[in-house]
Amino acid sequence: MQQAPAKKKKKVKVPRVINGIETMVEIEVDEDSGPGWGPNDKHTLLNHRITRVDGPLKVTGAAKYTYDQRLPGMLYARILRSPHAHAQVKSLNTEEAAKIPGVKAIIAGPLTEVRFAGAPVAAVAATTPEAASDALRAIKVQYEVLPHVVHATDAIRPGAAKVVDEPNESNLQQKNKNGDPAKAEAAFATADAIVDAEYISPRIHHACLETHGMVVDYRGGDAATVYASTQGTFTIPEDAAKELELPQSNVTAIVQHMGGGFGSKFGIGTEGMLACRLSKQSKAPVKLMMTRYDEFVMAGNRSGSWQKLKAGVKKDGTIVALQARQYRLGGIGEGSQAGQPYIYRMGDTYREVFALHTNEDSSIAMRAPGHPQASFAVESLMDELAYKIKMDPVEFRKKNLRDVVYHRQLDRGAREIGWANRNPVAGGSPGPMKRGMGCAVGTWGGGGNNQCKVDVTISRDGSVLVAVGTQDLGTGTRTFTRAIVAEEFGLQVNDVREEIGSSKLGGANSSGGSTTAASLSPSVKDGAIKARLLFSEKVAPLLDNAKPEEITFSGGNVIAKGKTITWKQACAALPAAGVIGHGEWRQDLQASGIHGAAFAEVEVDIETGHIRPIKLVHVQDGGLPLNRLTLESQINGGMIQSLGMALWEGRVMDAQLGLQLNPGFGDYKLPGALEMPELVPIIDDDDKREAVIGIAEGCIIPALGAVVNAVFNACGVRARELPITPDKILMGLTST
Amino acid sequence: MAKEDDVKEKEQPSHDPSRRKFLKGVGIAGAGAALVDKWSLEIEAKEKRPPASLSGTVSLTLNINGENRTASVEPRTTLLSTLRDYLEPAITGPKLVCDVGTCGACTVLLDGKPAYSCLVLAVDATNRKITTVEGLGTPEHPNAVQAAFVEHDALMCGFCTPGFVTTISAYLKENPNPSLAEVREACKGNFCRCGTYPRVFEAALAAAKSGKTV
Repeated sequence: MQQAPAKKKKKVKVPRVINGIETMVEIEVDEDSGPGWGPNDKHTLLNHRITRVDGPLKVTGAAKYTYDQRLPGMLYARILRSPHAHAQVKSLNTEEAAKIPGVKAIIAGPLTEVRFAGAPVAAVAATTPEAASDALRAIKVQYEVLPHVVHATDAIRPGAAKVVDEPNESNLQQKNKNGDPAKAEAAFATADAIVDAEYISPRIHHACLETHGMVVDYRGGDAATVYASTQGTFTIPEDAAKELELPQSNVTAIVQHMGGGFGSKFGIGTEGMLACRLSKQSKAPVKLMMTRYDEFVMAGNRSGSWQKLKAGVKKDGTIVALQARQYRLGGIGEGSQAGQPYIYRMGDTYREVFALHTNEDSSIAMRAPGHPQASFAVESLMDELAYKIKMDPVEFRKKNLRDVVYHRQLDRGAREIGWANRNPVAGGSPGPMKRGMGCAVGTWGGGGNNQCKVDVTISRDGSVLVAVGTQDLGTGTRTFTRAIVAEEFGLQVNDVREEIGSSKLGGANSSGGSTTAASLSPSVKDGAIKARLLFSEKVAPLLDNAKPEEITFSGGNVIAKGKTITWKQACAALPAAGVIGHGEWRQDLQASGIHGAAFAEVEVDIETGHIRPIKLVHVQDGGLPLNRLTLESQINGGMIQSLGMALWEGRVMDAQLGLQLNPGFGDYKLPGALEMPELVPIIDDDDKREAVIGIAEGCIIPALGAVVNAVFNACGVRARELPITPDKILMGLTST
Repeated sequence: MAKEDDVKEKEQPSHDPSRRKFLKGVGIAGAGAALVDKWSLEIEAKEKRPPASLSGTVSLTLNINGENRTASVEPRTTLLSTLRDYLEPAITGPKLVCDVGTCGACTVLLDGKPAYSCLVLAVDATNRKITTVEGLGTPEHPNAVQAAFVEHDALMCGFCTPGFVTTISAYLKENPNPSLAEVREACKGNFCRCGTYPRVFEAALAAAKSGKTV
């Protein structure tokens, strides 16, 4: 076999953020790689406000989601769940259930020992949703109930029930430690003031409006199609093929539109495994969409946190030491939490990180896994330190953040919220309605990887297709995919059609870690550049044999050597199959490392404890903004979800029963229309990086800390446990 | 059939879904959550009756988006499930999200007034004019609210969007020139998780100002 000649490389300088500092670094790229994005302010479509291309379908009900699939002969599946937090399944009697008209398949769950309430013990498929629900009620399960523990504080008590009943499996497991404990301890001696506090955040539910699930279209043949509500089109076929015992290449995953994931939807999951088995057993398509209750008890959640932080500060604002003991509360899972002191410099630091297990379902990734928890604690700590030494919280942060990007973002946000008008004395304003302001910062990566293979096809009739198997979670992927190609050819967004959401199309990465934009857009751009080159060669005869670099595309025209022809005229010169550019990822078209700063203003009614958010500001950088309209929407969404964590959201468990007390929207309080503050999303255009970076996760992080700190500034109550419900304000006022 | 319920439904202001009205009616809106808990427990208890009492289907005709559609459903089948799981072809604009009247994603219009279709039995919806989001406009010919939603990016994943569009379309007929506060109030029965609220409000106000047909 002949080796392909090694591609010639060239070195280019690109801006990167290293250890929090924006700096220029040299990277290697292929010498023949095309041009870059060009200056951020020179685009004709990108960095403008483009309405989303799937908008018309979504606002009229025409967009078909996984939940909307209904196939001929399709069965409806339901999952029977354990009502006990810890139990052995002793027997499962499905005799009566099987007699119910319409019931086609019943399978026992994958577990014999359940370690949380809501664990699946059986699944049924029936011709109607009603028959499936009846069958669940008719299944008789005998359990041997075992001791359980669902509160973190109980789980570390001596003699606590063991979540995993093995000799070496303790409820508390040390995961890592960093720093020198003796050095940190000694450094406290140099501090003028010390804050020693515990911060607790509950488990947060993704609450995707479209629940987890899929429709498995398998009728006993040698191929299957799986319609899945997933963040990873390509995470479906392999696992589904295993369950169906088919070759992976015979299983196609389809993800046209999906109703929210927020980190919780990768792979087929237990529900997908059950759906495949039911389909295989009944030789009929099976739809298994989880119920809302299912979604709360077993679709995963953001892990809770319990953090003991002790920091020492000098009068001039220099932090000299930090000791941190961080518990990740991930149920039977590991949980996640960014290490302290998160993004601040705190002198001599020592931290220990533990997973603390309870009889609850495993936490899974949720938008910026581990970051809001760490940010809430460290931003609260920063605020407490600032008040203790009577230093302005914005100036105090700048003093302990060496990355100057935060400095400019803090200044920008402070101007927008009106920081100068803030009462520096906590609870200092007269009357029962107290206003206050707070701030916080956050960071994320957002770089891409090289999994996206994009085909850009230009046909002889002038139509343009960009195809890749990626998925659009509502982040605007379809829209920027079109826009990149349209801009390359001087066309309008609607002159290009995109085809996405199928594992039969070119490969693509999963949408996790805010990696989609930075993985996909370089490949789309590369495909467009390559198609442009091929296109230019074909149309050159119409333009006095102009060289490719002499041909420009603008306003629906192709121009060279003083000649202008229309797009349609030019395309007529293409061969019957048109031209296709095969796009590959280019490292130089993307980057990693983003910054955000959030400010909040709230009003606290000290007679009722009610908190009204007045205004939230979030300043976010992210290199080249592909689409300002959808990017602002994402920043808004980040602020709102962050606000939810601060004031309303949190799973509540009953210690005795081991059950979740709020497994529904009636009791788990999502942010709603009436609570919305004024929201100001600001794209930080001082970021001149000509590179695409994902921002989705970065913008959920800092608003949480800003709100918590605004509450303190307003009324003088330092809420160290989330969410800040009115009882916590009233209790706090009683004790101050 | 179920005439009393029909009358109750008709008395409600268009933007006030039935559960909330019920809570206000008994004068303890502030204690809503606790009451709803109790209420959903009662529903659950009812559902735990032996399956034997739940058999049988009824044929019915529903007037949906100006067309008479027939389906054969059980008496317990909700209007939402009938639209999505029984009609052929299905109507899937209204989304199934909570199925217990807490989120608004399944909102349809009954004789022009918004209702959670997961809280309405199909057998109670005969003789009503049912309008779903599909009946308000099409991708090619959206109504003013739908057009404004696209223009103002009032959607992300889009799963709550049909509910918001339906609620606001009905509300603007009742109040063609609302304030921001009134729009918020109108939207209080609909949840969004992605965080589109500010742009939903913008879109509603822009649709009102556009003077176009809702």
